[in-house]
Amino acid sequence: MADFQTSSHHDRWILNPQALVEKRRGSNQRAIAALKKYGATRVEVQADGSLAYPGAPIAEDGPVGEKLPEPLVVDEEILIQRFYEQKIQQVCAAFSFPHKIQATAILYFKRFFLNWSVMEHDPKQIMLTCIYISCKVEEFHVSAEEFGKGIQQDPQAVLKNELCLLQGLNFDLIVYGPYRSLEGFIFDMENFFHAKDEAFLEKLKDLKEAAIFVADKLMLTDAALQFPPGQLALAALQDANLEEKAVDFDRYLRSIADRQHEKLSYLELLECLNSVLEKVKSVRPVNEDDVKRIDRKLKYCRNPSLQDENKKRERKSKHKTKRSSQDAE
Amino acid sequence: MVDASTRSRPAWLQQYELVGKIGEGTYGLVFLARSKLPSNKGVHIAIKKFKQSKEGDGVSPTAIREIMLLRECDHENVVKLVNVHINHADMSLYLAFDYAEHDLYEIIRHHREKLSISINTYTVKSLLWQILNGLNYLHSNWIIHRDLKPSNILVMGDGDEQGVVKIGDFGLARIYQAPLKPLGDNGVVVTIWYRAPELLLGAKHYTTAVDMWAVGCIFAELLTLKPLFQGIEDKSTHNPLQLDQLDKIFKVLGHPTPDKWPTLNNLPFWQTSRQRMQGPKNEISVLHQVVQTSQKSPAYDLLSKMLEYDPCKRISAAQALEHEYFRCEPVPGRNALVPIQPNDKVVGYPQRPVDFSADFECSGSQPPQMVTSSHAVNNSAAASVTAPRPMPQQIPLVSMQRLPPYGLAGQAGMPGLTANNLSVPRGPSQPPHQQQFRRLN
Repeated sequence: MADFQTSSHHDRWILNPQALVEKRRGSNQRAIAALKKYGATRVEVQADGSLAYPGAPIAEDGPVGEKLPEPLVVDEEILIQRFYEQKIQQVCAAFSFPHKIQATAILYFKRFFLNWSVMEHDPKQIMLTCIYISCKVEEFHVSAEEFGKGIQQDPQAVLKNELCLLQGLNFDLIVYGPYRSLEGFIFDMENFFHAKDEAFLEKLKDLKEAAIFVADKLMLTDAALQFPPGQLALAALQDANLEEKAVDFDRYLRSIADRQHEKLSYLELLECLNSVLEKVKSVRPVNEDDVKRIDRKLKYCRNPSLQDENKKRERKSKHKTKRSSQDAE
Repeated sequence: MVDASTRSRPAWLQQYELVGKIGEGTYGLVFLARSKLPSNKGVHIAIKKFKQSKEGDGVSPTAIREIMLLRECDHENVVKLVNVHINHADMSLYLAFDYAEHDLYEIIRHHREKLSISINTYTVKSLLWQILNGLNYLHSNWIIHRDLKPSNILVMGDGDEQGVVKIGDFGLARIYQAPLKPLGDNGVVVTIWYRAPELLLGAKHYTTAVDMWAVGCIFAELLTLKPLFQGIEDKSTHNPLQLDQLDKIFKVLGHPTPDKWPTLNNLPFWQTSRQRMQGPKNEISVLHQVVQTSQKSPAYDLLSKMLEYDPCKRISAAQALEHEYFRCEPVPGRNALVPIQPNDKVVGYPQRPVDFSADFECSGSQPPQMVTSSHAVNNSAAASVTAPRPMPQQIPLVSMQRLPPYGLAGQAGMPGLTANNLSVPRGPSQPPHQQQFRRLN
């Protein structure tokens, strides 16, 4: 419900690392199987709701002389996803959307691509639809036209995948980001540390800003699928406090462990926060060249005819260069 | 020959045997169907079909709200969303609910027009208690319904859950925990007869108290079989100030004073309404005469606490459930329709009219007024659904500020989407902070 404890987020969308691995492997394998069977990975939903692979079935003995495009491995899929998750943050920032919207959109994106491979559904379009639907869910209405205009995309491309996305999310639309918990903790710290003087309040404010920055990074990791928002927020505060040194965080954490209704002890809580922060540290920055290379592979998997066209074009342009050099002579 | 429409039928349709159409609204249509699944074979299901929004914005925000809230709700007195289906052919959504045979609009009407006798005390009390019980669940989970009215209060017919109340139609409901926008921003929504005075006077923030006002109005209507405040809606204006509605309220409850309602002077339309309302300003309430109930009775005490002017002082759902009214005889029961007293007469309520000529798909694309068949049109309400009523309409629920269409070509960047018109100050609204800790795990 609108309380995390009884929410679909709590019941269905906090997953252990093993489950994440299995889901991703499952989606990846399905896409590869489609590639072998139909020669392309992209999936289209038919009017009757069934899925169709637009590629023609390949004969038993395989296409003669034609080589199938090379499929993405799971790690490559994850890298592409991370790239588009960053894009979500950029687009939301460019629109000056409230933080809540990007957190919701990123979680939608992550959840969708647990059930589907990026080879099956175009991650760029899904990303845009994720942002658009989060705006609706968070009661921050932007028309498809305005949105399309802002990102210089056809609004229809954004709308086209709406139902597919809703279904991929299992219609579980209420999600909890760490940002509101974060504000709650700051508010609570003011009371706990009896913050009265301006200087200390100012410090807490800086701590909050720094923690929001950490939370943004957390949202790009699997931590967002593995830990409840309260723990993400605490982890962000803990990490930010290392630099800011605003509060005696350890003391505060002990008090939280004492006050909360759940059974998490101080040590268990500390262990959770550490594993959250490990996720952040293990994240390597997304390398543009890697993305370009994988994206090219992705395009060919989704639509192998592009590969042929590309070859033709290459041949043509070589031909042209030759001719023009001949002309020049 | 295979008909093209049959061929593209969604596979999930086979789960249901269509009975007919039971309602329609601006969002789309409502069907009655029987489940064919072995797990609940023969069980009646109400299926609400949402068309794509007219503005070219895909799935309507109403459908999104209903899905997102009801996917999370689990309470005996809140309508149960059993399933969501998609028809890719016309990009429509179908929401399947447990079917409720009755609603308070029909029950009250049946007593008023057919039986000419009041609803017995046990039934009134049981209905009211269950409404409050459902509402208490919603409010404690940070949801404001915002559109409570008799037609949205459903009552289950024959079966295991006979006489159990289900609050329905969450198309206007909101989570108020973390509003990005002030809740008043999307246009005033509660149907005018059940609309709280603070909203009529221009209050910007909805609180759970608006739902309690509506419950008070419904309570009075259960007692008298007549809407308590039947104002005539001024549709000429998008302004929430509805003078006739205020006038109707003031005539029954007396004019409010800043003395009894301290924040009255802060409400945007208070001064205007004072100037524009002619005649003497009586402060005396005649509510007890209108509902013909002794001022000393627990029923009157509870009713007057629900119809308290000051939203801060208005009774909450949780408090109301503890009220003496529910502790004195007859005590409320789960089956509101069948009194436990052997000498009380059991009233048989009519079944919801069904338009058997309707079809799941093809009628979906027709505009609502196109339906011509039979009796079903005027008085069809549906499970969890409000059919249009011959009563004041609500103001459009999402009053979007439509920007002029852009010439798409050649305009770079994001004009019109600057911080000024999109970003919103974070509301100061903090939930009670113990709530934060419940999120830890």
